[in-house]
Amino acid sequence: MTAPRTGPGISVEGVWKKFRRGERHDSLRDLLPSLARRFARGRGDPAALEARDFWALRDVSFEIRPGQALGIIGHNGAGKSTLLKLITRIMRPTLGRCEVRGRVGALIELAAGFHPDLTGRENVFLQGAIMGMPAVAIRSRFDQIVEFAGVADFIDTPVKRYSSGMNARLGFAIAAHLEPEVLIIDEVLSVGDMAFQERAFGRMREIAQSGIPVAVVSHQLDRISALSTHAMLLRRGEVVAIGTPGECITQYVSGELGQTDAATTVVPGLAVTTLAAEGNGPVRSGERRALTLRGRYDPEQAGSRRLAFMVRVRRMDTGQVIFTTTTHRHGLHLTRPGSFVVRFDLQFNVPEGVMSVETGIIDADTERLMGEGPWAHLEVSPGQPFKGMVQLNPELSLGPDL
Amino acid sequence: MTAPTRAPVEYRDRHTIFGDLRESIADLRSHGELLAQLTSRDIKLRYKQAVMGFAWAIFMPVLIVMAGLVVRLSMAYVSGKPLSVDGMAGVAVKALPWAFFVGAVGFASNSLLSNQALVSKVFFPREVLPLSAVLAQGFDTAVGTVALTVALPFLGATLSPALLWIVPLALLLFILTTAICLFLACSNLFFRDVKYIVQVLLTFGIFFTPVLFDAPMLGERIAPLVMLNPLAPILEGLRLAVVEGHNLLVPLRVMEGGKLVELWSPWLLLWSAGAGVVGLVLSITMFRRLQYLFAEWI
Repeated sequence: MTAPRTGPGISVEGVWKKFRRGERHDSLRDLLPSLARRFARGRGDPAALEARDFWALRDVSFEIRPGQALGIIGHNGAGKSTLLKLITRIMRPTLGRCEVRGRVGALIELAAGFHPDLTGRENVFLQGAIMGMPAVAIRSRFDQIVEFAGVADFIDTPVKRYSSGMNARLGFAIAAHLEPEVLIIDEVLSVGDMAFQERAFGRMREIAQSGIPVAVVSHQLDRISALSTHAMLLRRGEVVAIGTPGECITQYVSGELGQTDAATTVVPGLAVTTLAAEGNGPVRSGERRALTLRGRYDPEQAGSRRLAFMVRVRRMDTGQVIFTTTTHRHGLHLTRPGSFVVRFDLQFNVPEGVMSVETGIIDADTERLMGEGPWAHLEVSPGQPFKGMVQLNPELSLGPDL
Repeated sequence: MTAPTRAPVEYRDRHTIFGDLRESIADLRSHGELLAQLTSRDIKLRYKQAVMGFAWAIFMPVLIVMAGLVVRLSMAYVSGKPLSVDGMAGVAVKALPWAFFVGAVGFASNSLLSNQALVSKVFFPREVLPLSAVLAQGFDTAVGTVALTVALPFLGATLSPALLWIVPLALLLFILTTAICLFLACSNLFFRDVKYIVQVLLTFGIFFTPVLFDAPMLGERIAPLVMLNPLAPILEGLRLAVVEGHNLLVPLRVMEGGKLVELWSPWLLLWSAGAGVVGLVLSITMFRRLQYLFAEWI
C-alpha cells in the first residue's frame, strides 16, 4: 500500500461510507433543529452512527496497478456500486481515502447523457464530451463508433426513435472507443442481443488486457473470471476475500450464496432452513453432486394441501433454466410432521460454468409455485470434452458397412 | 460492528476559498469541450421542433417592451407629460438583459435536477450544467441584440463612445446571473421549495427592478432603494450609456424643482460589481463543497 504512487492506478485506503435510511429531512421543520445542532456541536464525529445511519462500506482497502484488473463480486447491497461511485468521484467517502490517477473511462451508465430529441450523431458528441473525450478524438473515431453500434442508417435520426437495443449499443460503442487510462465497468456486460454482447465483451477484454488498471463489477461470474486478474468479495460492505478470481468466486459460490436467510417460512406450516451441497468446491462436468434441503413441517397448519418440492437449475451466464423437477413427480410426499431432509442428487451433464440451484415449494396437485426456497450456486469445472448445451453421453462406433 | 475497528484515516481536502476557485477554473478549462457541447445541446433543443425558431429569442424582449409601453402610456396619462421615444428606447435596452436574467435563472436553477441521470451516474465538474444553461440563454440574448441594434436608431439612440460601456456591463450581468444561478441550482437540488421561490422571484422581480420604469421616476426617496438591487445599476447603466450616451464614470445630476437630484453615481457600478464578484466567489465555493453530496441527495 505504500508503493510509489506514480502512473495510472486506483488506490482505496480504509474507506468507510455512511448512508442514512429513509428521507434526509422530511421538511424544513426537521432541517432547522438539525442544522442548529450541527452548529452547536460542530461537525460531529464522522465515525459515529446516528439512529438511521448504516455503513454501506466498512474499511475497504485495495490497490489496482497497471496490468491488474480487479473483479468485485458480492450480493446485491454488498456495496459494489457504492464503491464504484466513490472511485469515480461521484461520491466521497465518509472516512478514508479514494484516489484515482489518470483519465477514467467509466462504462457505467452508457446512455445517461443521451437526449431523446437529439440525433444519434449529436448524441455521440455530447456523450463523448460527458465521458471526457475531446471532439477531435470523437471525430476521428466517429465512423468506428457508428459501425460498432450498427446504427449507420439511423445516425441522423433523433434517438427517441431508436429501439432500446440501438440506444444501448450506441452508448456502449461510444464508451468502448474512449481511450481511458483507468477503466471502470459496472454491470454493462448484458447490453443488446447475444451477438452484440459477444462483440462488446471482446472489445472490453481488449481494453482490459491493454495493461491499464481495471475495476469491474458484474453478477456474471464467468465474465468476471474472464476479465479479471484479481478479485474481491464484498459482504455487507466488508471485504471478505481478496485474491485470485477463482478463489473469490469459489468462496462466493460455495459459502455466500447458499446462506440465504435462515428458516424462512414459505408456506403456512412449512419452514425451510438451509440448502447445502454435499462436498466442497466445483463439481466436474459429468459428475454427480447432491444437495440437501432441510426444514420443518407442521401438517396441522398446512391444512389439507399436499406440498412438494421443486428444484430448478439455471445457468448463471445466460440465465437459462436448464433443468427442473419436483419431488411428487418422483412419488415423494411430505407426510410426517417434524424435521425433514430432501436430497437432490443431480448429475451435471453440462459444460463448465456457474449454475444456480434454486428450490421452491409447490402445490402437488396444481403444480403451482407457492414460494421460493433457498438457492445455492455451484461451479461446474471442465470434465469430459464436449461442446454444446448438454452432455448426451454418446456411444460411437466406426467400422466397415457389412 | 457499527464503528471503525482500526484507526480510520480521516481524509478531508483543506478547503480554502482560493483553492476552490482555482480548482473550479482548472476543471472548467479541462472540461471546456463538455461545456461547449452542453451549451450547444441546450441551444439546439430550444430550436428543435419549434416553429417560431429564432423568433423566440426576441419574443420575450418584445413582450417586455410592449408591457413597458403600457406602463409608460399610463404614466404619461396620469402625469400629463407626453410619452417620449427616448423612454421607449430605454425600455428596449433594458428588456434584453432582463429577459436574459429571467431565462437564465429559470433554466439554470433546474439544470441539475433535469440532468439527474448524469448527476447521479457520471462524474464531471457539475458547474457546467448551470453554466451551460446561462450560456445558452446568452445565445438567445445575442440574437436579440442583433435585432435591437437594428431597431435602436429608429428609437432615437445615437452612436457615442459611451456605447463601449456595453461590454463591461454585459460581463457584470453575466457574473451576477451566474452567481445567482449556481446558488439556486445547488439549493434546488437539496430543497425542492427553491423552485417556488424562484417562480416568485421571477414573477415579482420586475416590480423591484427598473425595467419597465426608470429608477428616477420613483422619486428621490425610493429610487436609491431600488438601486440597491444589484441588477438595477446594470440596467440603468445600460440605458444611460446607450440611450443618453452618458459616461458612467461621471455622476449625473439634474436640477429638479430647485434641488439637485442625483440620477447616477459611479459608486452604483462598484456596488453592483462588488455584489456580483463576492456572490460568484461564494456560490462557487458553496457549489464546490456540496457537489460530492449531489449524487446522494438528488
